[in-house]
Amino acid sequence: MTAPLTRRTLLATGLGALLAAPALGQDTTLRLAFIPQENPDKLLGDIEVITGWLSQELGVPVEGFVTIDHAAAVEALRNGDADISFMGALPFVLAEAEIGAVPLLSEVYRGEPYYTGRIFVRRDSGITSLADLEGRDIAFADPISESGYLYPLAEFQRAGLISGVEEADTFFGRIFFAGGYQQAMQAMAQGLVAAAGASQYADLLLTPEQQPQVTWIAESPRIPSHVVIARPGLDKGLRARFVETMMRLNDPVHRDMLQYLYGPDGYVRADPEAFDGVREMAREYGLLS
Amino acid sequence: MKFTVGLRMICIIASAAATLANGPALATPAKETPWLPEAAAYRLTLHYGNLAPVPWEKIEKAWTEPYRGAAFREGAIDRISDDSTLNTEAMEAAIDAQDRQALFAAATRLIAGRIEEQLDRAIAAETSGAAQTAVLEAQELYRAFADHVTAADPEAAREIGMAWLELSSATGSSGVLGTGAAPRNTERMEAARRVISSFLAANYLPDSFGRRATLSAIPETVAASDRVVDLPATLPPGSDIFDQDPLPLLVLNFEEQGIDEKDLPLIAYGDMLFDSPEIFGDPARSNGIACSTCHNRSDINQRFFIPGVSHQPGAADVDGGFFNPMFNDRRADSLDIPSLRGLRFTGPYGRDGRFASLRDFSRNVIVNEFGGAEPTPFMLDALVAYMTEFDFLPNSMVTPEGALTEAAPEAAQRGEEIFNRPMAGLADRSCAGCHIPSANFLNRRAHDIGSASGAYDGSRAGAFDTPTLLGTAYTAPYFHDGSLPTLASVVDWFNDAKSLGLTEQERSDLTAYLETVGAADEPYEAFGERNTPFRLAFEELTTFASTLDTLLPARDAKHTRLLIDTVAADLSADAGTMANQSARPEIYRLANILFDVGEAVRDDDWAAAERHWASFKVEAEAIDERVY
Repeated sequence: MTAPLTRRTLLATGLGALLAAPALGQDTTLRLAFIPQENPDKLLGDIEVITGWLSQELGVPVEGFVTIDHAAAVEALRNGDADISFMGALPFVLAEAEIGAVPLLSEVYRGEPYYTGRIFVRRDSGITSLADLEGRDIAFADPISESGYLYPLAEFQRAGLISGVEEADTFFGRIFFAGGYQQAMQAMAQGLVAAAGASQYADLLLTPEQQPQVTWIAESPRIPSHVVIARPGLDKGLRARFVETMMRLNDPVHRDMLQYLYGPDGYVRADPEAFDGVREMAREYGLLS
Repeated sequence: MKFTVGLRMICIIASAAATLANGPALATPAKETPWLPEAAAYRLTLHYGNLAPVPWEKIEKAWTEPYRGAAFREGAIDRISDDSTLNTEAMEAAIDAQDRQALFAAATRLIAGRIEEQLDRAIAAETSGAAQTAVLEAQELYRAFADHVTAADPEAAREIGMAWLELSSATGSSGVLGTGAAPRNTERMEAARRVISSFLAANYLPDSFGRRATLSAIPETVAASDRVVDLPATLPPGSDIFDQDPLPLLVLNFEEQGIDEKDLPLIAYGDMLFDSPEIFGDPARSNGIACSTCHNRSDINQRFFIPGVSHQPGAADVDGGFFNPMFNDRRADSLDIPSLRGLRFTGPYGRDGRFASLRDFSRNVIVNEFGGAEPTPFMLDALVAYMTEFDFLPNSMVTPEGALTEAAPEAAQRGEEIFNRPMAGLADRSCAGCHIPSANFLNRRAHDIGSASGAYDGSRAGAFDTPTLLGTAYTAPYFHDGSLPTLASVVDWFNDAKSLGLTEQERSDLTAYLETVGAADEPYEAFGERNTPFRLAFEELTTFASTLDTLLPARDAKHTRLLIDTVAADLSADAGTMANQSARPEIYRLANILFDVGEAVRDDDWAAAERHWASFKVEAEAIDERVY
């Protein structure tokens, strides 16, 4: 029996391939693999705009396509179907280990190419230290989120409250993975759990009335923000021109374009050493050998 | 006048987590989560369904077209037909029949059915990623009901909140790039799903719904109990009350003369009122809507839009069914928001000049249009004192007498002659006959130029107050209904409607003249490293607070409380915009000191109020130096 063709099955069976199967054999074409972070429908429109702009600025054809997930993007980079992709710091260090992906540009938010993870609590909870959370429930965003799990949890280890990740289950009452920053923060703000581990900016996801009602009691070291990466074999000249062009997005005249690229405030050239902490963290959690 | 009232709407921003992606891709700070089309259509249906008369055409569009500003390309019905086995016939039939109750029942069942469908998918999913995607989508659909459940039945809201947490956690994780995967716990998923489904069955999928006088998403069990529920005032999806970007420059007469607003307590208090939602009634007040929401920095707000209130961005029907049902004129007559620059020269007030007095006009806005309590004479005095300080934007191409200077382009110089030329189509008068250059380009009279059709045969209701031309280069669109997008289109309209017979060159020159007269040396606020949006807001709020130096010694409890309710809440809300986020707690502390002043005044403890106020001033000064 054939399943009916719906928007959902399209996505699940490889919207990217259907949308813009990379045109092989065009050596001068730059191919960008995008991973949906929010609404794929919006992403499709965004890709059209940004690839159009990049084509015009670079003077070479630029194609974009949506991959189903990080693995598909990395696979596309590995086999040359994609030249460039956009991902978080953790997937990047894994891709780097797997296929030698090269970091080109880092996203800038509020003036910095990094952010942190925090442990948030309600001000009226009486919780003032990580130790106070022993036996209490906590919500994290997702088990593979840097700022929404890995880094905030590591703070408990740094504080000497747990000796390793495996002890988390016995330290806390219950650990929830709420599905995202906002869900984790709302669970905390509404009193469903005692604390939330999320990005340093996650309290801005609460209502203005809720924001003053929460505070944070621990903050992680810096986490590099999203990174634009390239496959290792991409022509160095084209790579350099791409970076130069992307840096022009920082100019006021081109800043509008940023909204079509996951919406950062700008870009800086990526510093490969900035990811040392992420590599270490990935090893610590057994994600990287 | 402050400018960040729109911040009160930030409540809808949400996680960068994928609501639809196959597994989350977290890493970046915060992004706005778009309403799913079905949930948006449902909330728009509730919103429109509570207006009188019900705009059925808009309800139909709410389901068939993407909502304004939607991140989705398809409307709710298309999405349902693509992605669901549910059919929308009952709902469409209810819209055709204009049956409000049947529409409510069908739409509610549709959303609940969609949630159930996603929950089925989550349970049946073969991978954790697929399960997580389905759970996130189910939660986003549940958003259509969530805040009303919380308001109506906090216990149930808590139970459902825990069930969503359980469900999400039990989906496990697909990991990333083949590592870090965590298994699903189907048993836990099914247990959590049962909690959600039984709540939906009892409240959103019952055999029949009781008649709803006001449409809302409160659970049927609560609605059936006739218990009165205090629902949060919200704006429907597609609304935009954020400030205009770029932000108009505010030109205040006293400020240009170097007089400190802190030395003008009446004006400073009026400035605060202009920015205070507290002077309005609900739903404006709870949604943070103030005078400055529409009149950003004394000018306009081209992005202001509320479905059912605005026929297009930058427009509002202030006597419709949304803000104050008592004042509902049952006419869809949304008007383009006018600039208030040079207000002391532009009376009479109202698009048709129906109010000779700015004071009367202001009272009408507060009490009738926005359902606020009767303002005190002091409040009206303060508002008028503040608003009459609004000056036109300086423009070095036009003299104070209205003549062009040498700085004006040649085309504009040629256009000036056309502007002053009597024309047969204008009854041998010139454009300058009404837009008198030496009188700020207006004549303070209302004329029917044929820009509006009469409301009924023989009506003479098409006369509008002559608007100034100053600053108009930045206030598009034009005419009372914003029907003309550019000044060139205004020239074309007059040329056609009045048979002026202008050549293409003349029209171009006349347009250049209008653009020159309507220009400004600096139309927008220039933000930089030092002059940040937060700093501007902070300085304005502390200026507002400075009126406590007058109010506390006068033991004026009423106006003190009004000030504190406005300023302390805004200080907290504005903290979210600080570039220096680590200093936010200091702003919250400062806001709390102000709340303490209010508490002391409520307790009639004026000595304590004075102490808290003194401490506020010390802290504010220290913060001013420290936090930027």
